[in-house]
Amino acid sequence: MTEFIIRRLLQSVLVLFLITILTFSLIHLAPGGPFQIMLSPGLSPEAMETQARNLGLYDPVPVQYFRWLGDLLQGDLGYTFKNHIPVGQIIWPTVSNTIVLMGAAWFLTLLISIPWGIYNSTRVYSLSDQSASFISYLGFAMPTFWFGIILQQVFSLKLDWLPLSDMYTMGKEGDLGDLLMHLILPVTVLTLGFLAAYVKYSRASMLEVLHQDYIRTARAKGVREGRVIYKHALRNALIPIITVVALDLPLLVAGAALTENVFNWPGMGRLFVEMAVAREYSVLMAITMIVAVIVIVGNFVADVLYAVVDPRVQLNKRGGKAA
Amino acid sequence: MTSPSSRVQSTSSQPVKPEPNTPPGNKLSKPPGPWRIAWAAFRRNPYAMAGLVVLSFFVLAGLFAPFLTSYDPAKIDLMAANLKAGSEGHLLGTDELGRDTFTRLLYSSRVSLLVGFLVALGSVLIGSVVGSISGYFGGFIDTVFMRLVDVMNSIPLLFLNILVLAIFGTEFRYLIMVLVLTSWMSVARLVRGNFLQLREMQYVEAAKAIGVSNWGIIFRHLLRNASFPIIVNATLMVGGAILSESALSYLGLGIKAPQTSWGLMLSNAQEFMLVDPMQAVYPGLCILIVVLAVNFIGDGIQDALNPRKNTTLIGRRLDRWRKSFSKSGT
Repeated sequence: MTEFIIRRLLQSVLVLFLITILTFSLIHLAPGGPFQIMLSPGLSPEAMETQARNLGLYDPVPVQYFRWLGDLLQGDLGYTFKNHIPVGQIIWPTVSNTIVLMGAAWFLTLLISIPWGIYNSTRVYSLSDQSASFISYLGFAMPTFWFGIILQQVFSLKLDWLPLSDMYTMGKEGDLGDLLMHLILPVTVLTLGFLAAYVKYSRASMLEVLHQDYIRTARAKGVREGRVIYKHALRNALIPIITVVALDLPLLVAGAALTENVFNWPGMGRLFVEMAVAREYSVLMAITMIVAVIVIVGNFVADVLYAVVDPRVQLNKRGGKAA
Repeated sequence: MTSPSSRVQSTSSQPVKPEPNTPPGNKLSKPPGPWRIAWAAFRRNPYAMAGLVVLSFFVLAGLFAPFLTSYDPAKIDLMAANLKAGSEGHLLGTDELGRDTFTRLLYSSRVSLLVGFLVALGSVLIGSVVGSISGYFGGFIDTVFMRLVDVMNSIPLLFLNILVLAIFGTEFRYLIMVLVLTSWMSVARLVRGNFLQLREMQYVEAAKAIGVSNWGIIFRHLLRNASFPIIVNATLMVGGAILSESALSYLGLGIKAPQTSWGLMLSNAQEFMLVDPMQAVYPGLCILIVVLAVNFIGDGIQDALNPRKNTTLIGRRLDRWRKSFSKSGT
């Protein structure tokens, strides 16, 4: 077990390291030099030279890379080019805002989808099952941001029930009720997007388990149906569900980026788009790294969790997932 | 195997020799090939056929857009701004700059479908090459490629798209490039998985034994046998690419102003939501319908190409052999 965790950990660190290289090289490929934008405009060419030299722009790229990496490891995310504000100061508040939105959507999705999937697995091709697959078709084909726009039109502009966008009404910052009102629409959008896949997945996972011999044995012994499903089957069916839930974290973060833009939610995704348009590379690099860390930690936890919960996983095999 | 020379002699001596391998009505008796069986199964699937009809409709609408409308999609006519649907010659009204909505929808369908097909094609090309090399050769190169896939999958792809487009600018070719570079991984994984199984097959061993080169085996034998799942994956990828394009255009990092796309139209429409809410409905509906159609087609192909039903391949091979022999005889 320890060996598996250590190997998996090393693998995660390697991937993370590769991501830093990828991000850094991408930024350095930018036409016209990535840090051109850093230099103050209106300077004489000589002054620009000196400034560039002082900023270390003439150092070899690997040197620049390791300087950036060193700063990053110490938690120094750099400064914005335009106003020279510390990047961390801009990013961290948006991270928590995104977590509020994502967490709410995620929680709601799991709360609805897993029980629904279990229910559908016991009544395959019932009305409930059919409507779940109908929703999943819609969920996969519908642009989530469009759904958001339509909801805005109906519930805030036409009916005036819910706030149009933002996180708080002006002057009501920190008010929980106000926050909840603002959460309803974006959470609905996000939930519908994720619901489809999760219902499908938990249904499939349950069906797989329900067809196994030990379930037949349990039924043959005369165990009550409810106990068979919720005790014997569900425990094993939950294992792959947990894994998928953890593996889907990148999707959740990315999905939130679009929804945040539709509803003007002051989160990481909106900041990312805003900064992409403004070409604030240091912020973009920082957000990419933060998101990558979240994703990699998620994957790591999922794998370890899977190994802990499922005794069938052979830990000494490469990758650790072969049953 | 009879020697060809003796058969030539026998045919010349009796000109009306009945050919046992080609009975009358050759076309009917020929066992249908896997593609024909797949097509027959596909045709019986109402959803898939509906999807095909709808998709063809949009393809034709995009292709013949200049003939279907007399307006220019980019022409600004402030005198005719924000007209309601159905008003004097503007079927679906006009947007805030007086551009005809129906015209823009037509031209957008061009852009979106082009993006969808190009991205699917590009991803299949890159993914197949990477997946083949990875799965066939294994070892170090496999590790390198799979770590690369891990890295790509660890950054949410929308973020990566935005990052690259912010750096390189939002030209059409960059948009295609970026979307391809962030969607080849699923094909690569799929092809690799297939190759890991296929490379253990006996015909691969046989091909190696008669001295077929590695690339010959990959391209002539293995990729062909892995083509069914690749096709299914490519079809579903078209829908994903259309959605990604619309999302990026909506965010202002995809298709830009003189050109038009459904995503871009939505982003305009959201700004002018109070003036004309319907403007936001049409483009989204178009995206939804097209992606739904493509997904139905993909599912239909998947069902039609179900490898477990696919048992007639050997029959077709045999038929081809028989045919080639009968040809050499006459």
